[in-house]
Amino acid sequence: MKILHSLPALALGVSLGLGMLTPARAADDTVKVGVLHSLSGTMAISETSLRDVLLFAFDEINAKGGVLGKKIEPVVVDGASNWPLFAEKAKQLLEVDKVSVVFGCWTSVSRKSVLPVFEKDNGLLFYPVQYEGEEMSKNIFYTAEAVNQQAIPAVDYLLEDGRKKFYLIGTDYVYPQTTNLVLLEYLLSKGIPIENIGGGLRKDDAGKVISAGKYTPFGHTDYQQIVAEIKQFAATGDACVINTINGDSNVPFFKELAGAGLSAADCPVASLSLSEDEFRSLPAKDLIGQLGCWAYFMSIDSPANAKFKSDFFAWLKTASVSGIERENRVTCSPMVLSYDGVYLWKAAVEKAGSFDVDKVREVLESGKITFDGPNGLNTVDKNHHTTKNVYIGETKADGQFKIVQEFKQVYPEPFLKGTFGKK
Amino acid sequence: MKIKIPPLLGAALLFLSPLAALHADDPNEAGARQGMAAAILASETDQPALVAKLGEKPSPVLKGLFESWQRGGIFLFTAPDGAKIPFTLDAGKALRVDTGAPLLDASGAPLAFQESTLTAVDTSSKLRRAIRATTDSLALADPNPETRKSAVLKLGMKQSLASLPILEGRVSVETDPGVRKSLVEAIAMTQLASPDPATRIDALKQLKKITSVPSRDAVAKIAADASAPADVREAAASTLKAIDNHLFWVDFFGTMFRGISLGSVLLVVALGLAITFGLMGVINMAHGEIMVVGGYATYLTQCVFSNGVSLAPFGIPVHIPGFGFDPASGLYQSYFLFALPAAFVSAALVGLLLERSVIQFLYRRPLESLLATWGVSLVLQQVFRLVFGPANAPVYSPAWLLGSFSAGGVIMNYNRVFVIGFAIVIVFGTALLLARTPLGLLIRAVMQDRNMASCMGVSTEKVNMLTFAFGCGLAGLAGAFLSQIGNIGPSTGQTYIVDSFMVVVVGGVGNLIGTVISALGIGATDQILQTMLRNPVIGKVLVLVAIILFLQWKPSGLFATKGRGLEN
Repeated sequence: MKILHSLPALALGVSLGLGMLTPARAADDTVKVGVLHSLSGTMAISETSLRDVLLFAFDEINAKGGVLGKKIEPVVVDGASNWPLFAEKAKQLLEVDKVSVVFGCWTSVSRKSVLPVFEKDNGLLFYPVQYEGEEMSKNIFYTAEAVNQQAIPAVDYLLEDGRKKFYLIGTDYVYPQTTNLVLLEYLLSKGIPIENIGGGLRKDDAGKVISAGKYTPFGHTDYQQIVAEIKQFAATGDACVINTINGDSNVPFFKELAGAGLSAADCPVASLSLSEDEFRSLPAKDLIGQLGCWAYFMSIDSPANAKFKSDFFAWLKTASVSGIERENRVTCSPMVLSYDGVYLWKAAVEKAGSFDVDKVREVLESGKITFDGPNGLNTVDKNHHTTKNVYIGETKADGQFKIVQEFKQVYPEPFLKGTFGKK
Repeated sequence: MKIKIPPLLGAALLFLSPLAALHADDPNEAGARQGMAAAILASETDQPALVAKLGEKPSPVLKGLFESWQRGGIFLFTAPDGAKIPFTLDAGKALRVDTGAPLLDASGAPLAFQESTLTAVDTSSKLRRAIRATTDSLALADPNPETRKSAVLKLGMKQSLASLPILEGRVSVETDPGVRKSLVEAIAMTQLASPDPATRIDALKQLKKITSVPSRDAVAKIAADASAPADVREAAASTLKAIDNHLFWVDFFGTMFRGISLGSVLLVVALGLAITFGLMGVINMAHGEIMVVGGYATYLTQCVFSNGVSLAPFGIPVHIPGFGFDPASGLYQSYFLFALPAAFVSAALVGLLLERSVIQFLYRRPLESLLATWGVSLVLQQVFRLVFGPANAPVYSPAWLLGSFSAGGVIMNYNRVFVIGFAIVIVFGTALLLARTPLGLLIRAVMQDRNMASCMGVSTEKVNMLTFAFGCGLAGLAGAFLSQIGNIGPSTGQTYIVDSFMVVVVGGVGNLIGTVISALGIGATDQILQTMLRNPVIGKVLVLVAIILFLQWKPSGLFATKGRGLEN
């Protein structure tokens, strides 16, 4: 596998070399904008959709005259699911291509690896995927769901539904671990006794809980033991599962769960990393009635969403992007929040009257930049996150969500750890 | 096309066929339907009360209607006179909720709609709670004993003394022994909340007698409750001990079962490799991808049995037509039985191609064959991506592989039981083929001494080709099975390649019995460590460490064989 990793590096070296020879400079009537996603490797399956929707947004804006009279010129680079490479590519975008703004990253680890680059070069990044919080860089705007805009509403819904026991399960990395620690604090503050939280707790020497819930590695396939544990946990009634398993492993997990006869009515599973896009690779029939919580569902019934969907699908049919998937496409929360990010940036640039990062940031931090997108109204707040609607959905056989509850205009709180008991 | 449906499938089919719309022997049906229609049309504030009232007059139609309501399957039709009529859809045809009869238009013709063009009647979370309460109380009289059982237990777990008369009322009319047992359990659980210590102690004794797992939390609470009388606490502690003891044994046997089932999965996955690597000595890094070929063959078979599939291999759109069988029908449910031979044949064909094009030139050069087959595996992965797309192919399990049964509290999933049987069958099949057929004799001869076999007039090339194809066919069968428990995607093969080699190497290269024992051993160890450590990651790490240490001690595996293996 070593060879594979060094190939992109070689390619990068060559392209950097070429970049030096012919310094890339934006023509006067265009503005360069970076797109930094994994177009190959394990994350490509999710991130390619974000590239598609970004290119669609650029084309849409260009067709209406661009930003400040300049056409957007996208610079698309491939992070190749390789976290150090993300930092290299970010550096290339900021120092060689000199882009005005970058839209990109999916996993928290890729964001963490580009963060120092953006802070050093004073770049601007719009990050569109739900994450664990506990971060606020002056160079990053987080358009997606903070923990209080996804996990907390999901738990509120389950509590209101009369659930008293919570089993936490996730993939072993920073997002599930941090989210579950926040959820543990939240559940305890809501009067759920600690013995009603399943999956296991790990404490450090001082007795402080450092990890809550059950974790499996990426690509785990054998969920027999865990499902047997959940079945026993749920036998005493009113239990539910908060699932932060990422990607492929959800298939064996849900197949095992369906096989064990745990239905959504007995023990609902609220999944925080499964959107419509991931659903395309899951056997939807095994998941009917399970819950999802996002800032956007494809099934939102609004004129803005209907227009977005039909325009995007029409664009896909004719887009001149090589290898783009044209059929059976869906829209999902990270896609729409990417799209919203482009328009929020555009609104800020137009208000600032300049592409200068400091000026744009100042305008964005004013709390007055809004965009009425397919998911409803988005407002950028002073804390670099956005206020938006949050929806709880129940999965249907066709892979879509039936919206069962809507939380209007939820204010983002990126720093939640340690805040609950004190209120 | 005439296909005989096995009796098991026939039963599944009968069970799944939509229940007839009208029940002639249900006196409450008309009232229930009208009440339901009224509840749907009522204002949001009145709905919960109306829904609760529906629970008083049980009717079998209510369950289905409530389900459709919650799932968004009830729609409104506005009659020419402005009246709203709620209706459901049955295969596109509109049926009135209030009568169950087809919805007619002005001229008296039945109406039909496309579901995607309609907007369903909405439900709020408050209403859904009311619906759930009503369906729970209706479930007490459900015709299906399993439903009754879980409804009874659910009611018992609420520990509300108000429901005691309802439960006691059911005891006299209940005929099913299983449900009667649950009733006793539910009554005892409810009595735990009684203010009278004597009743509580009796209840605790009862729960101890039946080692009731659902009551564990409630019992543990009493045992830890300092305000409870000492004798009650004592009884609770003894009950808790009995339940925990029972749970220990459930866990123990459950872990054994899960160990055997994981071992069988490993065995199924590794068996093909035991032939190609173990017997033939070809380090076939593309083994995982050959398995995936079988998985995709299963996917295609499933598509052909339903509505076909549109693919775009290399950008050329291709549509594979399907028979269009109804997903609930026995014909569709039997697709997996046809998928197995399809998976075997397609994987064997790919193996044949691979052997002819690459491997036949590399029999005496294991290192080159490692690199070459690794390259082939990358090529195959990209081909899957181009043909089937980067997303996983959704393979649905037939109904007869879904679900589980419980033996003394140990849950056994049908698909897990199936894999154990499946592993036994293919291992015996392979052993018989090798030991009892002329082809098996030739295979063994060539593998033991190629030159001598060749001198005796055996066409070694042909035997190599057939053996490799057979090994790949077995890998294809593994892929078909994996589609039932995991996902099938372009990179699925990578997940299993390490496990496969691990099993074959630990078992001893070139030895079928070794492969069987090592697969079961690794599976059981993994599951036992997982239970003991309550952590799947550390369990897996320890298994790998154990294997490394084991191979230091016995480098040629459990059962070393002499022959044309890697060493010469």
